[in-house]
Amino acid sequence: MWPFGDWERWAYDRGVRGRGRPPVLSELVAARYADEVRSVASDLSVDGRSTSRLVFDLLRGAVRARARAQGMPRVYRLWATRTRLSIAVATLPWMLVAPVVLMAMGTQSLHSSVGRIFPPQLSLVGPNSLEVMGRQAPMPAPPLTSAGWVVVDGSRAILVLFLVALMVLIVGWSQLIGGIRRSSSPHRRKIALLAWAPGFALLADIGLVVARGLIGPSAYRLTTGHPMVPLNGNPAAGHALGVALGIVAIAGWLLSMVCVAVAAKRAEVAPADLRFGRTISVIVASAIALLLAAYTTWGIGLIVQAREAARGSFTTITYSNQGLWLPVVLVLLVIVALSALGARAAVRSWKVIALEFV
Amino acid sequence: MASKRLGRTQDPTILVLTSLSGGPKHGYAVIKDIESMSGISFGPGTLYGVLARLEEEGMVEPLPAEGPRRPYRITASGAAVLRERLEVTVKVADVAFRRLGALGV
Repeated sequence: MWPFGDWERWAYDRGVRGRGRPPVLSELVAARYADEVRSVASDLSVDGRSTSRLVFDLLRGAVRARARAQGMPRVYRLWATRTRLSIAVATLPWMLVAPVVLMAMGTQSLHSSVGRIFPPQLSLVGPNSLEVMGRQAPMPAPPLTSAGWVVVDGSRAILVLFLVALMVLIVGWSQLIGGIRRSSSPHRRKIALLAWAPGFALLADIGLVVARGLIGPSAYRLTTGHPMVPLNGNPAAGHALGVALGIVAIAGWLLSMVCVAVAAKRAEVAPADLRFGRTISVIVASAIALLLAAYTTWGIGLIVQAREAARGSFTTITYSNQGLWLPVVLVLLVIVALSALGARAAVRSWKVIALEFV
Repeated sequence: MASKRLGRTQDPTILVLTSLSGGPKHGYAVIKDIESMSGISFGPGTLYGVLARLEEEGMVEPLPAEGPRRPYRITASGAAVLRERLEVTVKVADVAFRRLGALGV
């Protein structure tokens, strides 16, 4: 019954017990073949095939089967669920990673060995004329290195990709909500509430910001060498609201992703909405891949800039959190792969739906 | 061990179709048959991944189950695909053997 011993029994007990279904590993390979897989695994185990080898093979088979939907019956409901889940897998990682990338860049600042640079940051659009502030009249600042310009363009590209993907996601999200409203599911109200989670989280954030503005102090007395003294409002309540804002912002952000994923899994939307979602997933997956390219270029530009700047008088550009570049690149690589796999699965699942059911 | 470094050259699909061309077999029998003819040991995860794909493409079909074991048999389209693939393989093998002969290997 348990060819893989305690490991499989443990997984079974925590996974599918009580639903009258076969053990986890053998079912994951392809649910339709679960009994046969279990029987063959049992025979091979009796033959002396090592358990670890069997488990590894079953896990590999399970991953392949899930990724390619092997053996999945041609039933519209199953393929529609797969398409919706794939769209969620392709798009939701963006919500996780894009704010992290922006935070991992930090604040920009400009430096020069000649003196203090003004303005202290480059504007995002238009030409920038930089000057060195000294005791005498301001004079033109030394130029940025060529790698410095790559850094500037990289940071602009990151911001543009962030905004484009955000807009695409908002369009996709509104399509999901519209699709839920149009669906005939008896649970559509509950599912719609889940899908609205990002909106509720945003409203809660705005409410807390407004409350902090109204209740907390807005004027301070500044005395050199002493902490700021609030002149009005309630400082303790303002502080508490500030802490609450941070907690609600992060928890709401994470909870929103989970709620939208659950809503996407359960929402029985029309095929036209699925096709739209497939397109959104491809655009978002491409935007995440481009985000990785822009972020990688930005980081390499910072490294090269440091070498170039050592060879002459240049203005250099730095970011407060640039030390996080490599770990963030590695995380982004994983997210890009996940999102691309999701988009590919969404495209393939939609193809099956379009060919067989629409 | 240069051959090991080059990786596995046998396509699992062809091995499964070849095994089933000898008559209907259930999963365990297919694994044992492939082991005896090629020395390659499949696991159940790999085998049923291949069987699922072949069944989807109509190259094999399941027969009534015998307890927990269900035999599969190759279909006419599976046999045609197997023949086509083997003809290419034989052609490539012929050329390879002739060239190796010319090298004196």
